[in-house]
Amino acid sequence: MARAIAGPDAPFEPEAVPPTYAAVYCLAPAFAQLFTDEEVGINLAGLIHGEQAFEWPARVRPGDTVDASAEIISVEDKRGMTFVTLAVEAVRPADGAVVCKGRSMMIVRGGGA
Amino acid sequence: MSTAAGSAVKVGDELEPLTRVVSQEQINAYAEASGDFNPIHVDEEFARSVGLPGTIAHGLLELGILAEAVARWAGTSDALLALECRFSKPLRAGDAITCTGRVAAVDDAEGVATLDVEATSDRGERVLTNGRARVRLSR
Repeated sequence: MARAIAGPDAPFEPEAVPPTYAAVYCLAPAFAQLFTDEEVGINLAGLIHGEQAFEWPARVRPGDTVDASAEIISVEDKRGMTFVTLAVEAVRPADGAVVCKGRSMMIVRGGGA
Repeated sequence: MSTAAGSAVKVGDELEPLTRVVSQEQINAYAEASGDFNPIHVDEEFARSVGLPGTIAHGLLELGILAEAVARWAGTSDALLALECRFSKPLRAGDAITCTGRVAAVDDAEGVATLDVEATSDRGERVLTNGRARVRLSR
Protein backbone atom coordinates (compact mmCIF):
# COMPACT_ATOMS: atom_id res chain seq x y z
CA MET A 1 0.00 0.00 0.00
CA ALA A 2 2.77 2.45 0.91
CA ARG A 3 4.47 1.77 -2.43
CA ALA A 4 1.18 2.07 -4.32
CA ILE A 5 0.51 5.49 -2.79
CA ALA A 6 4.07 6.63 -3.47
CA GLY A 7 3.95 5.52 -7.12
CA PRO A 8 7.13 6.71 -8.80
CA ASP A 9 8.46 8.26 -5.57
CA ALA A 10 10.03 6.65 -2.51
CA PRO A 11 7.43 5.70 0.13
CA PHE A 12 7.23 8.37 2.85
CA GLU A 13 7.33 5.93 5.78
CA PRO A 14 8.02 2.47 4.35
CA GLU A 15 7.85 0.70 7.74
CA ALA A 16 4.58 2.27 8.90
CA VAL A 17 0.99 1.40 8.08
CA PRO A 18 -0.23 4.25 5.84
CA PRO A 19 -3.29 5.89 7.45
CA THR A 20 -5.47 5.19 4.43
CA TYR A 21 -4.63 1.48 4.68
CA ALA A 22 -7.89 1.74 6.62
CA ALA A 23 -9.39 1.21 3.14
CA VAL A 24 -8.34 -2.42 3.55
CA TYR A 25 -8.81 -3.23 7.23
CA CYS A 26 -11.85 -1.02 7.88
CA LEU A 27 -13.77 -0.33 4.64
CA ALA A 28 -13.16 -3.36 2.46
CA PRO A 29 -15.00 -5.88 4.68
CA ALA A 30 -18.12 -3.69 4.73
CA PHE A 31 -17.97 -2.83 1.05
CA ALA A 32 -17.47 -6.46 0.12
CA GLN A 33 -20.61 -7.43 1.98
CA LEU A 34 -22.80 -4.59 0.87
CA PHE A 35 -21.78 -4.09 -2.71
CA THR A 36 -21.36 -7.68 -3.80
CA ASP A 37 -24.53 -8.96 -2.12
CA GLU A 38 -26.80 -10.21 -4.88
CA GLU A 39 -29.89 -9.43 -2.83
CA VAL A 40 -28.85 -5.81 -2.44
CA GLY A 41 -28.27 -5.87 -6.17
CA ILE A 42 -25.88 -2.95 -6.54
CA ASN A 43 -24.18 -2.66 -9.88
CA LEU A 44 -20.49 -2.34 -8.99
CA ALA A 45 -19.77 -0.60 -12.27
CA GLY A 46 -22.07 2.24 -11.33
CA LEU A 47 -20.55 2.70 -7.91
CA ILE A 48 -18.81 5.98 -7.13
CA HIS A 49 -17.06 6.93 -3.91
CA GLY A 50 -18.56 10.30 -3.04
CA GLU A 51 -17.04 11.29 0.30
CA GLN A 52 -14.77 9.76 2.89
CA ALA A 53 -13.94 10.71 6.45
CA PHE A 54 -11.47 8.87 8.66
CA GLU A 55 -10.45 9.32 12.28
CA TRP A 56 -7.53 7.45 13.79
CA PRO A 57 -7.92 7.57 17.59
CA ALA A 58 -5.04 5.08 17.94
CA ARG A 59 -2.49 4.10 15.33
CA VAL A 60 -2.55 0.59 13.90
CA ARG A 61 0.81 -1.22 13.65
CA PRO A 62 2.10 -3.93 11.32
CA GLY A 63 1.00 -7.31 12.65
CA ASP A 64 -2.09 -6.01 14.48
CA THR A 65 -5.35 -7.94 14.21
CA VAL A 66 -8.45 -5.76 14.04
CA ASP A 67 -12.20 -6.36 13.98
CA ALA A 68 -14.14 -4.16 11.57
CA SER A 69 -17.82 -3.40 11.71
CA ALA A 70 -20.13 -1.22 9.66
CA GLU A 71 -23.58 0.21 9.83
CA ILE A 72 -25.72 1.72 7.08
CA ILE A 73 -26.61 5.20 8.30
CA SER A 74 -28.78 6.37 5.44
CA VAL A 75 -29.99 5.52 1.96
CA GLU A 76 -31.38 8.35 -0.14
CA ASP A 77 -32.63 8.41 -3.70
CA LYS A 78 -31.92 11.66 -5.52
CA ARG A 79 -31.82 12.51 -9.21
CA GLY A 80 -31.88 8.89 -10.31
CA MET A 81 -28.96 8.01 -8.03
CA THR A 82 -28.81 6.32 -4.66
CA PHE A 83 -26.63 7.81 -1.92
CA VAL A 84 -25.57 5.27 0.70
CA THR A 85 -23.81 6.45 3.85
CA LEU A 86 -21.95 3.94 6.01
CA ALA A 87 -20.33 4.31 9.41
CA VAL A 88 -17.38 1.98 9.91
CA GLU A 89 -15.17 1.21 12.86
CA ALA A 90 -12.14 -0.98 13.45
CA VAL A 91 -11.14 -2.14 16.93
CA ARG A 92 -7.93 -3.89 17.98
CA PRO A 93 -9.12 -6.66 20.34
CA ALA A 94 -5.69 -6.99 21.97
CA ASP A 95 -6.17 -3.72 23.86
CA GLY A 96 -9.69 -2.69 22.88
CA ALA A 97 -8.39 0.42 21.12
CA VAL A 98 -10.46 1.93 18.35
CA VAL A 99 -7.89 2.28 15.57
CA CYS A 100 -10.17 3.77 12.95
CA LYS A 101 -13.60 5.32 12.66
CA GLY A 102 -14.89 6.20 9.25
CA ARG A 103 -17.80 7.49 7.32
CA SER A 104 -18.23 6.67 3.65
CA MET A 105 -20.72 8.12 1.23
CA MET A 106 -21.14 5.98 -1.86
CA ILE A 107 -23.16 6.92 -4.94
CA VAL A 108 -24.88 4.22 -6.93
CA ARG A 109 -25.77 5.44 -10.39
CA GLY A 110 -28.94 4.13 -11.94
CA GLY A 111 -30.52 3.55 -8.54
CA GLY A 112 -29.28 0.01 -8.02
CA ALA A 113 -30.17 -0.19 -4.35
CA MET B 1 9.61 13.55 16.83
CA SER B 2 10.88 16.48 14.89
CA THR B 3 8.20 18.14 12.86
CA ALA B 4 7.40 21.27 10.98
CA ALA B 5 4.21 21.29 13.02
CA GLY B 6 5.65 22.48 16.30
CA SER B 7 4.60 25.18 18.73
CA ALA B 8 5.22 27.86 16.10
CA VAL B 9 2.33 26.62 13.95
CA LYS B 10 -0.12 29.40 13.24
CA VAL B 11 -3.26 30.00 11.25
CA GLY B 12 -2.45 30.57 7.59
CA ASP B 13 0.62 28.30 7.50
CA GLU B 14 0.64 26.30 4.29
CA LEU B 15 1.55 22.73 3.43
CA GLU B 16 4.38 22.14 1.01
CA PRO B 17 2.32 21.27 -2.10
CA LEU B 18 2.70 17.61 -3.09
CA THR B 19 2.36 16.82 -6.79
CA ARG B 20 2.31 13.30 -8.17
CA VAL B 21 1.55 11.99 -11.65
CA VAL B 22 -0.81 9.06 -11.16
CA SER B 23 -0.04 6.59 -13.94
CA GLN B 24 -2.11 3.57 -14.92
CA GLU B 25 0.70 1.45 -13.44
CA GLN B 26 0.23 3.19 -10.10
CA ILE B 27 -3.55 2.70 -10.27
CA ASN B 28 -2.99 -1.00 -11.02
CA ALA B 29 -0.61 -1.23 -8.05
CA TYR B 30 -3.22 0.42 -5.84
CA ALA B 31 -5.87 -2.04 -7.07
CA GLU B 32 -3.51 -4.86 -5.99
CA ALA B 33 -2.82 -3.26 -2.62
CA SER B 34 -6.44 -2.43 -1.84
CA GLY B 35 -8.20 -5.34 -3.53
CA ASP B 36 -10.43 -2.88 -5.40
CA PHE B 37 -10.45 -4.06 -9.00
CA ASN B 38 -13.55 -2.12 -10.06
CA PRO B 39 -13.08 -2.04 -13.85
CA ILE B 40 -13.54 1.75 -14.00
CA HIS B 41 -10.00 1.89 -12.57
CA VAL B 42 -8.26 -0.80 -14.56
CA ASP B 43 -10.18 -1.46 -17.81
CA GLU B 44 -10.02 1.39 -20.33
CA GLU B 45 -12.69 -0.04 -22.62
CA PHE B 46 -15.06 -0.69 -19.74
CA ALA B 47 -14.52 2.80 -18.29
CA ARG B 48 -15.46 4.36 -21.63
CA SER B 49 -18.52 2.11 -21.89
CA VAL B 50 -19.95 3.64 -18.70
CA GLY B 51 -19.39 7.19 -19.92
CA LEU B 52 -16.02 7.99 -18.37
CA PRO B 53 -13.28 9.55 -20.48
CA GLY B 54 -11.01 6.64 -19.55
CA THR B 55 -9.81 4.84 -16.45
CA ILE B 56 -9.76 6.89 -13.26
CA ALA B 57 -7.79 6.71 -10.02
CA HIS B 58 -9.34 5.24 -6.89
CA GLY B 59 -10.59 8.05 -4.67
CA LEU B 60 -8.81 6.42 -1.75
CA LEU B 61 -5.52 6.51 -3.67
CA GLU B 62 -5.97 10.27 -4.02
CA LEU B 63 -6.84 10.48 -0.32
CA GLY B 64 -3.68 8.49 0.43
CA ILE B 65 -1.58 11.06 -1.42
CA LEU B 66 -3.38 13.86 0.43
CA ALA B 67 -2.67 12.05 3.72
CA GLU B 68 1.00 11.88 2.75
CA ALA B 69 1.10 15.62 2.06
CA VAL B 70 -0.27 16.30 5.55
CA ALA B 71 1.98 13.69 7.17
CA ARG B 72 5.08 15.21 5.54
CA TRP B 73 4.13 18.58 7.01
CA ALA B 74 3.49 17.02 10.42
CA GLY B 75 6.73 15.03 10.25
CA THR B 76 4.99 11.67 10.72
CA SER B 77 1.70 10.04 9.77
CA ASP B 78 1.29 9.17 13.47
CA ALA B 79 0.29 12.81 14.01
CA LEU B 80 -2.64 12.54 11.60
CA LEU B 81 -5.77 12.30 13.76
CA ALA B 82 -8.43 12.69 11.10
CA LEU B 83 -8.84 13.38 7.40
CA GLU B 84 -11.89 13.82 5.24
CA CYS B 85 -12.79 15.02 1.77
CA ARG B 86 -15.28 14.89 -1.05
CA PHE B 87 -14.28 13.16 -4.29
CA SER B 88 -15.64 15.93 -6.50
CA LYS B 89 -14.14 15.08 -9.88
CA PRO B 90 -12.48 11.94 -11.15
CA LEU B 91 -8.69 11.95 -11.62
CA ARG B 92 -7.83 10.37 -14.97
CA ALA B 93 -4.97 7.94 -15.34
CA GLY B 94 -1.84 9.84 -16.35
CA ASP B 95 -2.96 13.11 -14.78
CA ALA B 96 -1.02 14.86 -12.03
CA ILE B 97 -2.62 15.58 -8.68
CA THR B 98 -1.43 18.44 -6.49
CA CYS B 99 -2.38 18.44 -2.80
CA THR B 100 -2.39 21.70 -0.88
CA GLY B 101 -3.57 22.91 2.48
CA ARG B 102 -3.40 25.65 5.06
CA VAL B 103 -3.87 25.82 8.79
CA ALA B 104 -7.39 26.99 9.60
CA ALA B 105 -7.26 26.75 13.39
CA VAL B 106 -4.82 25.93 16.18
CA ASP B 107 -6.02 24.63 19.53
CA ASP B 108 -3.08 25.22 21.84
CA ALA B 109 -4.75 23.59 24.84
CA GLU B 110 -5.40 20.37 22.90
CA GLY B 111 -2.22 20.65 20.84
CA VAL B 112 -4.17 20.09 17.65
CA ALA B 113 -4.17 21.96 14.36
CA THR B 114 -7.04 21.86 11.87
CA LEU B 115 -6.17 22.32 8.21
CA ASP B 116 -8.29 22.99 5.15
CA VAL B 117 -6.93 20.69 2.45
CA GLU B 118 -7.75 20.04 -1.18
CA ALA B 119 -6.35 18.67 -4.40
CA THR B 120 -6.42 19.80 -8.01
CA SER B 121 -5.50 18.03 -11.22
CA ASP B 122 -3.23 19.38 -13.93
CA ARG B 123 -6.43 19.85 -15.97
CA GLY B 124 -7.31 22.53 -13.45
CA GLU B 125 -10.10 20.51 -11.90
CA ARG B 126 -10.65 20.46 -8.16
CA VAL B 127 -10.64 16.70 -7.64
CA LEU B 128 -10.71 16.66 -3.82
CA THR B 129 -12.77 19.33 -2.09
CA ASN B 130 -14.26 20.06 1.34
CA GLY B 131 -11.08 18.58 2.75
CA ARG B 132 -10.20 18.86 6.41
CA ALA B 133 -7.36 17.35 8.41
CA ARG B 134 -6.66 17.30 12.15
CA VAL B 135 -3.04 17.01 13.22
CA ARG B 136 -1.51 16.53 16.65
CA LEU B 137 1.22 19.07 17.23
CA SER B 138 4.43 18.00 18.87
CA ARG B 139 5.90 20.17 21.61
